[in-house]
Amino acid sequence: MNSTIVSYLSQFDGHKKFIAFLSEVLGFDATALIAFLVFLIASIVVVKVMALVGGMGTYAERKISADIQMRQGPNRVGPFGLLQFLADGVKMIMKEDVLPKNADKLLFTIAPLMALVGVFGSLAVVPFSSGFILTDLNVGVFYLIGVSSLVGVAIFLGGYSSNSKWSMLGGMRGASQIISYEVPVTLSILAIVILAGGLSFSTLVNAQGGLPHQWYVLHNPFTFIGFFVFFIGALAETNRAPFDLPEAESELVSGYHTEYTGMRFGFFALAEYIEVFVVCGVAVAAFLGGYKVPFDLGTGDFLVNTLHLPPIIGKNIGQFLQIGSFVTKTLLLYYVVIWIRWTFPRLRVDHLMTLCWKYLTPIALFNLVGCAVWLYAFDGHSIWELFSQMTAGSHGGGH
Amino acid sequence: MFDNILFLLSASLTVVGAFSVVLTKNLMHSCVYLLAALFGMAGLYATLGADFLAATQLVVYVGGVVILMLFAVMLTGGDQDKENKFGITKVPAMGNTKTFIAGGISALVIALVILRLVANIAKQNPQGDLPNYMSTVVEIGTKLVTDHVLAFEISSVLLLGALVGAAVIARPARGDDQ
Repeated sequence: MNSTIVSYLSQFDGHKKFIAFLSEVLGFDATALIAFLVFLIASIVVVKVMALVGGMGTYAERKISADIQMRQGPNRVGPFGLLQFLADGVKMIMKEDVLPKNADKLLFTIAPLMALVGVFGSLAVVPFSSGFILTDLNVGVFYLIGVSSLVGVAIFLGGYSSNSKWSMLGGMRGASQIISYEVPVTLSILAIVILAGGLSFSTLVNAQGGLPHQWYVLHNPFTFIGFFVFFIGALAETNRAPFDLPEAESELVSGYHTEYTGMRFGFFALAEYIEVFVVCGVAVAAFLGGYKVPFDLGTGDFLVNTLHLPPIIGKNIGQFLQIGSFVTKTLLLYYVVIWIRWTFPRLRVDHLMTLCWKYLTPIALFNLVGCAVWLYAFDGHSIWELFSQMTAGSHGGGH
Repeated sequence: MFDNILFLLSASLTVVGAFSVVLTKNLMHSCVYLLAALFGMAGLYATLGADFLAATQLVVYVGGVVILMLFAVMLTGGDQDKENKFGITKVPAMGNTKTFIAGGISALVIALVILRLVANIAKQNPQGDLPNYMSTVVEIGTKLVTDHVLAFEISSVLLLGALVGAAVIARPARGDDQ
């Protein structure tokens, strides 16, 4: 069975006692019921928190862009303008829900929902910590790539169904861009999958350590390049600047969501900001050590050994440290994504495709082969391990 | 319990989606319904414990095939002018009474033959429990490069050929750019 949040909880005594108690009261085996409830609650928590992250993302974007351009940014609603995104949400709900006259009604309604479903579906395998992962699918990486491509369909349908030239162009650009950039992104992750020897996120993360030299990004030269290929491709896949051609406001008004108003537009925006978080999370899990915390703090062994805490408390503190480690790294990358948006000018369409097919894809292929050769030649040791072996060897090496 | 709920959901999604594909008159809509049907198929694979196949279904169909179909339908015009200015469908019925009768009879015959075949299979293999869940990724990978390496290589050559062909077609003819 896959390890899930339920299987993490079921190792504690309280969980078993509770199930036994409930089975007695209800008169049937409550294991499945509890599992269902735990999944339900955990999914709701993850979705709500992520919606909050998406909302705060719009705030962070304006605040950081204001900072970069030396101006104020939102500062009226709540302390530091923190509640700005709630005000935006209220405004969007109050707006009139316009349906263009000749729009394809079914597709126009479905498209924003599809974007949200695609993004929320990919949250199921994001590894927040070793215990708090909704489900650790054996094919986690593969599943994530599949589900998130639903966003591409949604953008295309949104552009098509609006019956507007701007939307149509934006939708076409979006779909072609997402399909194209999936290739280098998938190939760069595949290089990591080869090194780690598994498709599930816990395999990827567990093959790395808490300290930077144990991360895959510094494992060998190929993964170092691979990380940047992945990051550039991921920026393009989430339609972030400098790859925001589908909504290029200077040429296409607002691209695929030109005709959308109110909360439907809000769904598209929310999906984009959550997808950025998910993509950064995948980058962290695959390249930057994921939820690993240095010095055994994550498993709780360190606390148990030094402070003589009971193992159960040490373990739970470790979980929180792991979540903190993962979220911190992810939010740092999130900052970089916003920083890039306000620093670089937009690409041209043909440049975009040239960058993908003539540069990133060959580099990603080269990295893939390079990683495979590295794995074969050095038995999967990182470059640091090889250095330390070499220095140990040159100093006599007799021990 | 989980498996049953998942099975019912994905089976109904598949059936409803598949019926909608053939019943709707809008080509674009039927592409979207096809997407729903293929999504349901992925769910069915997942209930059978074929996790890799389910994920492949998502990646290949959702990410690739359906988007390509949408592109093709959109670029070739799709269902423009399917109604005249009074809102009456202009698409003529496909065939006349004779072809409908012929089609109906042949559908019946084919259905009977298929049902006969399926009945045999169902009789010989009584319904049993699913084996315990295990990951299929390793097994599929091993099989692909050992027992079925010829099929694997042939399909990769085929895909490479398709790729080269696409590049040749998309390439501007020599001397055009002057």
